Amino acid sequence: MFDLKKEIRKWKKSLHKYDVFEDGLIADLELHLRQAYEDQKFTGLDDEAAFLKALKQVGKAENIAAEYSKNRLAALNRRSPFRPGRFMPALVLNYIKTAFRTIRSQKGYSLINIAGLAIGLTVCMLIILWVVDEWSFDRFNTTADRIFRVYKDESSTQRNSTSALTPPPMAEALKQDFPEIIKSTRFGYWQRHLITYKDKQFNEIGHMHVDPDFFEMFSFPLVKGDPETVFSDPYSVVLTEKTAVKYFGEEDPIGKTLTVNNSFDVLVTGIICNESLNSSLEFDLISPFEILLKESIGEDNADNWGFNSFGTYVLLEESASAEDLNQKLIGYLKKYDEEDPDELALQPLTDIHLFSNLGHDLRNRGDIKYVWIFSALAVFVLIIACVNFMNLTTARSANRAREVGLRKVVGAKRPQLIRQFFGESVLMALIALVIALFLVEFLLPMFNSLSGKQLTSAWKDKPSLLLIFISLALITGLLSGIYPALLLSSFQPIRVLKGIMRSSGSNSLFRKALVIFQFSLSICLIIGMFIIAHQLHYIRNIDLGFNRDHIIHVSMHGELHDKYETIRERFLQNPNVLHVTASMALPTNIQSSPGTPMWEGRPEDAVMEIKSDFIDYDYIETFEIPLVEGRSFSREFSTDLETAFIVNEEAVRRMGLEKPVVGKKFGFWSIDGHIIGVMKDGHFQSLHHKIEPLVFKMFPAWLRRFYVKIRSDNIPSTIGALEKTWDEMNLGYPFEYRFLDEDFDNLYRSEARLGNIFEAFAALAVFIACLGLFGLASFTAQQRTKEIGIRKVLGSSTSRIVALLNQEFLKWIALANLIAWPIAYFTMRTWIQKFAYRADIKLWMFILSAAIALVVALITVSFQTLRAARANPVKSLKHE
Amino acid sequence: MAASTRPIILAILSKGDDYGYSIIQKVKDISGGQLEWTDGMLYPVLQRMEMDGLIKSQWKLSGETRPRRYYTITDKGCIELESELKSWRSVWHALKQLTEPLPAQK
Repeated sequence: MFDLKKEIRKWKKSLHKYDVFEDGLIADLELHLRQAYEDQKFTGLDDEAAFLKALKQVGKAENIAAEYSKNRLAALNRRSPFRPGRFMPALVLNYIKTAFRTIRSQKGYSLINIAGLAIGLTVCMLIILWVVDEWSFDRFNTTADRIFRVYKDESSTQRNSTSALTPPPMAEALKQDFPEIIKSTRFGYWQRHLITYKDKQFNEIGHMHVDPDFFEMFSFPLVKGDPETVFSDPYSVVLTEKTAVKYFGEEDPIGKTLTVNNSFDVLVTGIICNESLNSSLEFDLISPFEILLKESIGEDNADNWGFNSFGTYVLLEESASAEDLNQKLIGYLKKYDEEDPDELALQPLTDIHLFSNLGHDLRNRGDIKYVWIFSALAVFVLIIACVNFMNLTTARSANRAREVGLRKVVGAKRPQLIRQFFGESVLMALIALVIALFLVEFLLPMFNSLSGKQLTSAWKDKPSLLLIFISLALITGLLSGIYPALLLSSFQPIRVLKGIMRSSGSNSLFRKALVIFQFSLSICLIIGMFIIAHQLHYIRNIDLGFNRDHIIHVSMHGELHDKYETIRERFLQNPNVLHVTASMALPTNIQSSPGTPMWEGRPEDAVMEIKSDFIDYDYIETFEIPLVEGRSFSREFSTDLETAFIVNEEAVRRMGLEKPVVGKKFGFWSIDGHIIGVMKDGHFQSLHHKIEPLVFKMFPAWLRRFYVKIRSDNIPSTIGALEKTWDEMNLGYPFEYRFLDEDFDNLYRSEARLGNIFEAFAALAVFIACLGLFGLASFTAQQRTKEIGIRKVLGSSTSRIVALLNQEFLKWIALANLIAWPIAYFTMRTWIQKFAYRADIKLWMFILSAAIALVVALITVSFQTLRAARANPVKSLKHE
Repeated sequence: MAASTRPIILAILSKGDDYGYSIIQKVKDISGGQLEWTDGMLYPVLQRMEMDGLIKSQWKLSGETRPRRYYTITDKGCIELESELKSWRSVWHALKQLTEPLPAQK
């Protein structure tokens, strides 16, 4: 019996073989077939015949399908049937909602992600503040690009020697001789001054002397006084606001007088506000240079071209070129002193703070190397934070897979999804930015003490800085979002929705690589930290060849110099005082003298650079410098004061003198004498330098500071007693002393600072890396909950499960060590090269770093794995 | 598929909305039953024309119990029909001139 329904179903089934036949199209054809069938029946055919006729009339499915295929191809070639709009506000809202929902539903992970990013950003922002500050030095001067410092190149007589110190007549001479120099000033001081106002008395090291052009060249703002007239009287002084408050408090300082060295008065004519200005020129008081000539160095030195003690700064005309002027300066010094072999050169003002490497340079300069090191560290920490983000997001990607699948099914295209996930990572980064801004505010004081800066949260009044921070956050967001966005958007909806979501091998390999990378960086930082600390320890404990302990030193300036003998005698009466002596330079930093000394049997062309200091009796004894030959300066030999020299072993070696050296002729500074003693080589400079030839000579007129060696017990009471003695003598100067070992530590302050900063960065890097590891461990533990449950049911112990789970992580850390060790070794070896005396880089530093990384990682991971292993298997196996 | 199919369908629809079965009947009528393709082949053509924006379709319940997809000619379809007619006329004109004996040969 013919069954129409069945036949039609059969026919439809045959159509379904062709995938072009969508349901709607089949409906069209079915209707057609039915009508044709009815029409055929109408002509009198029976059911079956009518159906066959109708089928024939409709035609072969094959042919129709072919036509439909052509249409589909044409459609594909032309355009997609559905094209979503570029911007869909409704969808954006949905994205934001989804993002927040994800953050909320995965609180732990989101917290780790945001915390990591926030710490990374905080570090970066602090460093940016620091770099901006370093970079801003001297740039507040409106003519900064036209101001140059003139320095001396002494390489014709001493290798690689330069000096920032120039003679007094040079500034004016340059202005006269070169029309392109429109302004010039000297800048310098001779010795510290005792400044008195009523009952207030301070030793001022920052009393600088300049020429009147100074105020027209530099843009230091005068809050009081007129820049054109402040120096019309040579006996005048301009104070910084801070100094003004120190002496005058609330009073108006203008018109008041300050007494210098109890000998002459200066009138306060102006107040400078330089608190917030970064200047390489540091001063607390400035007076005209003329005072210095009249009161300290003598007016006859105004034309002394050999008196190299001051800085010289020039302002060039707008059209002038520094290069041309540099050319013209060749041989210039010969014009004033035919025998002067040195050359002059210009250094841009803006280079002084970060790029200058001149001899006798200004204090408190920065170093471009540290700018680079710090920036690199900041980038490292940020990268670690970004890696964290990538790692955790991809680890959790399975959770988002269904969402991706569904979005794709309802028409989302891959670029849209990529944008969505980028948006999410940027959102996270922006949240982190807000937290980071608070953190920066909170951490600034700590960072300041670490870096020795006075940074303020400057972005509040500098929108450009805030803009930099925001772009930093955006870049961070995009950077950390790249991989997750590409990965998540690549999911195939059919696989995802069917539930065949397995983290692919390459994905987990990538995550492992990320963790290894993070830990490599962290381990590098830890190793760096150890090597720096070790080197500093080595330097501090190296045998210097002299004893610096329990020695205080006091500057002798003004009238103090003349009273030295009296002070010495009075101090020596104290039973706790062992020695009193004096010298020109601090034993931590004895400098070279120009010229080559004369010695017995010196070849004509011999050149020897030699460090020198002028000292007093008992110097050798005070510092316990061992003598290998001869004796120290003694009052019993009247000639010692005039013609005696003491040299070190290195000098003897370089001069090639045969033993006995004592009694050999030696001459320096046009003084002919002989060697009375040879001392053992000692480090009278920072350990960045090798031991060089050294000569000591007595020269009472040039003594600048005296030293008091006291007994090691009861130091405070001894110093109290000395203070009392000092006051009794009515010297008119306050008793200001320093311990010598403090000065010694100052030599390595920048290294110590680097060490501190490395410690901080290493700790942060390890912390962020651990955050990531923590997240990954808990993820892994969660992924393997069932496995752990089954293992427990089958009798595995908690400790074995922990070991099993930890094993994998520990393998990664081991690999990270393998990568980090050579990198750290070669980087740190380069750093340590700049010390002439180096501690060995020891294997234990590497092993200890590895151990630290391992232990920290182990603790982090175990925290999670232990919890997973302890969980009741009933719970984990109950479901499904 | 003959090149004439599309203009013919457009011409049919320009007289009023119609559905697939009815359209094919009319095509058969005017071509005197001389159709070299089966009914089913009409539907891909209709789909393609709809894709091209010449016609549009809509399911309707037209008095009877059976729903039908009715096709309507669009403005674009009307313009297309015009230009088709124009080119067909010019082809017809050309053919006519070529097949008529030239006066000189008379």
